[in-house]
Amino acid sequence: MHELYAILREITGYIYPNEVELHWGILIVVYPYITGLVAGAFILASLVKVFNVKEVQPTYRLSLLTALAFLIVAPMPLLAHLGHPERAYEIFLTPNRKSAMAMFGFVYAWYLMAVLLLEIWFDYRGDLIRLSQKEHGLKKWLHRIILLFSTDTSEESLKFDKKAVKFITVLGIPSAFLLHGYVGFIFGSVKANPWWSSVLMPIVFLFSAIVSGIALLLLIYMVTTLMRWKPIDMKCLDKLASFLFYMMIIDFSLEALDFLHRIYESEESIKILSQLVSSKLFVSLVVIQLLLGMILPLVALAATKLFPIPDELRRHIYFISALLVEVGIFTTRWNVVIGGQLFSKSFRGLTAYKMTLLGIEGLLMAIVLLLLPFLILYLLTLIFPPWPEAYETPAEAEATT
Amino acid sequence: MASFGKGIPDQIKRLSVVVILVLAAFFIGRMLLIPRDFGRYDHFRASALFDVASQEVEFAGQDICTECHDDISSQKANGYHQGLSCETCHGPAAKHTESPDEVTPFKPSGREYCPICHAYLASRPTGFPMIIVESHNPMKACTVCHNPHDPKPPQIPRGCEACHAEIARTKAVSHHVYIPCTRCHQTPEEHKVNPRTYRPDKPKTREFCGACHAEGSTEAPEAIKIDISTHGGRYVCWQCHYPHLPEAR
Ligand code: HEC
Ligand code: HEC
Ligand code: HEC
Ligand code: HEC
Ligand code: HEC
Ligand code: HEC
Ligand code: HEC
Ligand code: HEC
Repeated sequence: MHELYAILREITGYIYPNEVELHWGILIVVYPYITGLVAGAFILASLVKVFNVKEVQPTYRLSLLTALAFLIVAPMPLLAHLGHPERAYEIFLTPNRKSAMAMFGFVYAWYLMAVLLLEIWFDYRGDLIRLSQKEHGLKKWLHRIILLFSTDTSEESLKFDKKAVKFITVLGIPSAFLLHGYVGFIFGSVKANPWWSSVLMPIVFLFSAIVSGIALLLLIYMVTTLMRWKPIDMKCLDKLASFLFYMMIIDFSLEALDFLHRIYESEESIKILSQLVSSKLFVSLVVIQLLLGMILPLVALAATKLFPIPDELRRHIYFISALLVEVGIFTTRWNVVIGGQLFSKSFRGLTAYKMTLLGIEGLLMAIVLLLLPFLILYLLTLIFPPWPEAYETPAEAEATT
Repeated sequence: MASFGKGIPDQIKRLSVVVILVLAAFFIGRMLLIPRDFGRYDHFRASALFDVASQEVEFAGQDICTECHDDISSQKANGYHQGLSCETCHGPAAKHTESPDEVTPFKPSGREYCPICHAYLASRPTGFPMIIVESHNPMKACTVCHNPHDPKPPQIPRGCEACHAEIARTKAVSHHVYIPCTRCHQTPEEHKVNPRTYRPDKPKTREFCGACHAEGSTEAPEAIKIDISTHGGRYVCWQCHYPHLPEAR
């Protein structure tokens, strides 16, 4: 009761009683952010296999594992937000075809099982067989179970693995688009909300997802390489940064198009939306999302293309740009989810979002959910070593050092 | 047996087993876990209706309160809070009606509860009693001065802005800022005590505005003049100009 009164004091203008409190909080910001990272990481992995971009090969397995780690966490914010995670399986048992949200369960399951797990399985099979032959005890058994006791490393079967990976990747690209486009679809199809309702929404979501995924892998690649005391492959890094740059240009143009379209259309909501942007969302949208998260990294990345910048400095520029992009995309999600609930459907007033620190929907929970994928990723790298040195025999290792 | 599936790669055979297991688990799960009465009426479990119906009743409704608290009920029935139910303020009290001495309902004391309805908010209806909590007799509980079951302002408010804050604020920044409310609304003094019973009047004709705006009128020389016989056709002026914030653009 008292909380309600605290929000009442921050309301401006006219607002309906049921709009005072926001129903979708920080967890629903985290959710599209994480699914975006999944889709982005996977699409980066597909570049290697489908489009044969050799330079980014060092990030291929890392991308797959990153996608998996984040995918495992993706539904958690939803489960925490809805409460009763123990009932979650019911949406699979009795599918409700009329509900886009309920169908997410199937999109998710398809993506997890038919795409990611399969691709990882086929890609690692040969290597894991070799690895498990050298191992003992628990680890050996874990690997053998994961391998489904497959031991065939003949030329022929390895060839089949390659083909299968390629096939799954081709299938995976539309699936990744579906996964994240779906999240945009949920928002874009809310007719009554002019901030969300736009057919461009799934596409804008998708490209921002790709941007965030590439930036994340750039960061993970740099950090993990440094942690292993290995030299960073500058060709790979340059290529990643190029992809990031081009994807950001597409994303930026799409968002600008959406923006222009809204201004040109000037529907009756335009007044309250511009008020929203210039007041409650000013810092998160104009300052962080646009200036720090988009323009600044774009300029920095463009500079690395235009001027001959030494490797060391270039690495720093890439790192900071990617970090800014991550923060920027997070605020993009924030601005969509929170922004869309801050204005009244009467178009005449604004409310405020009071984030709690503790509690199942609080800030701490969001931070935990954002850190959890990294822990999972670490565990995954133990089971599925993504780096070549894990598969070298001691003699080979000696030869390379 | 050996020739069966000869051309199929080893991997596919192994994965097929997993796929078959997953599918089997799915279908067996469906058979075992979907309640039998699911979907009888629609996409839900039919017996959920009974589950909900069998939940414990928390609210008692306000008729039953009268049986024991008839004094308060009749006090409330004639006051401003006649439209509110007892449990709006006292919370669910079904348990209290069963064992009144053991369970006593919540009493909203202090200054935080009443503002949920009475704090100033532009979207509340015109005339709804609103206060600015920070400056309205601060530090003291509301019930020190107002009886919650028969709330009355301890003294009659002098200005119209006490109840018509939104209009007063709007007019204060308009071209009509220097015209008192009572120039356009003849207001009986009782309106401030019983606003719904004694109503002020409102302008009814075009000529009313014409007193200041018609060409040749003398009341307000600085008011812009228009030809009242043609301007705006046959419509009354406030169909186009909001009288508390007139604009001509
Ligand atoms: C069966 C008779 C009975 C009914 C019905 C009943 N009450 Fe009471 N109520 C009492 C008695 C007895 C007390 C205790 C008086 C005391 O302890 O001083 C009481 C006390 C209260 C108090 C004061 C508690 C306090 O802490 O001082 C409130 C508030 C109250 N009732 C509200 C309600 C409401 C609301 C309802 C209707 C939903 C209701 N009562 C119905 C008998 C009843
Ligand atoms: C606007 C909110 C509100 C409503 C509606 C309301 N009450 Fe109360 N009631 C209060 C508050 C506040 C107090 C505490 C008064 C105090 O602390 O002096 C109170 C106190 C009481 C008490 C304790 C005795 C007393 O007079 O202090 C009883 C009994 C009671 N209410 C019964 C009722 C019943 C019965 C109804 C419905 C007919 C009702 N109330 C409706 C706000 C309300
Ligand atoms: C659920 C909403 C609600 C709550 C809570 C509430 N009130 Fe009211 N109050 C009303 C309504 C409705 C009216 C009648 C307005 C009208 O007649 O236009 C009213 C009228 C009043 C008036 C009369 C104002 C006038 O015009 O003379 C006062 C004083 C008042 N309430 C004080 C309180 C106090 C003190 C509390 C807390 C114990 C309280 N109210 C809690 C809804 C509420
Ligand atoms: C010190 C006594 C005192 C206290 C405490 C007090 N009021 Fe008042 N209240 C008054 C007086 C006097 C008036 C009438 C004159 C005025 O408008 O200020 C009034 C008027 C009102 C009105 C009617 C507004 C109107 O202009 O018709 C409401 C509603 C109201 N009070 C609610 C509250 C609420 C809610 C609280 C607690 C947060 C509260 N009051 C605390 C003395 C008090
Ligand atoms: C005690 C609170 C209060 C005060 C003080 C008050 N009013 Fe009102 N007024 C009301 C209420 C309540 C209504 C009814 C609103 C409704 O029916 O929607 C109302 C209605 C009106 C109406 C519309 C009548 C109609 O038939 O639509 C006018 C005009 C008006 N008031 C003018 C004034 C003026 C001018 C003053 C100052 C001299 C004033 N009021 C002071 C509470 C007040
Ligand atoms: C220039 C003349 C003028 C002045 C000054 C004026 N009013 Fe009005 N008022 C009107 C007219 C005209 C209407 C509309 C009548 C209609 O719609 O039938 C109206 C309608 C109202 C209404 C009922 C409709 C509504 O908007 O809620 C209220 C209440 C009211 N006035 C209050 C006030 C108060 C309070 C003041 C002083 C702060 C004030 N008025 C000053 C001309 C005026
Ligand atoms: C008591 C005299 C008086 C009455 C009655 C009156 N007005 Fe005015 N009106 C004025 C004055 C004075 C101005 C402001 C001139 C200035 O800008 O200094 C004005 C300004 C205006 C304007 C021009 C605003 C602008 O943007 O320049 C409009 C429109 C208007 N009034 C409409 C109305 C309507 C409609 C009514 C009838 C409900 C009405 N007036 C009744 C005195 C009056
Ligand atoms: C059909 C809509 C309509 C109606 C009815 C109407 N007006 Fe206007 N009024 C306008 C528009 C539009 C303007 C601004 C354009 C213009 O100057 O003609 C205006 C302008 C004015 C101005 C400012 C003139 C100036 O030169 O700046 C005044 C004063 C005014 N109206 C008063 C009134 C009064 C008094 C009435 C009632 C007798 C009235 N209006 C009825 C639409 C209307």
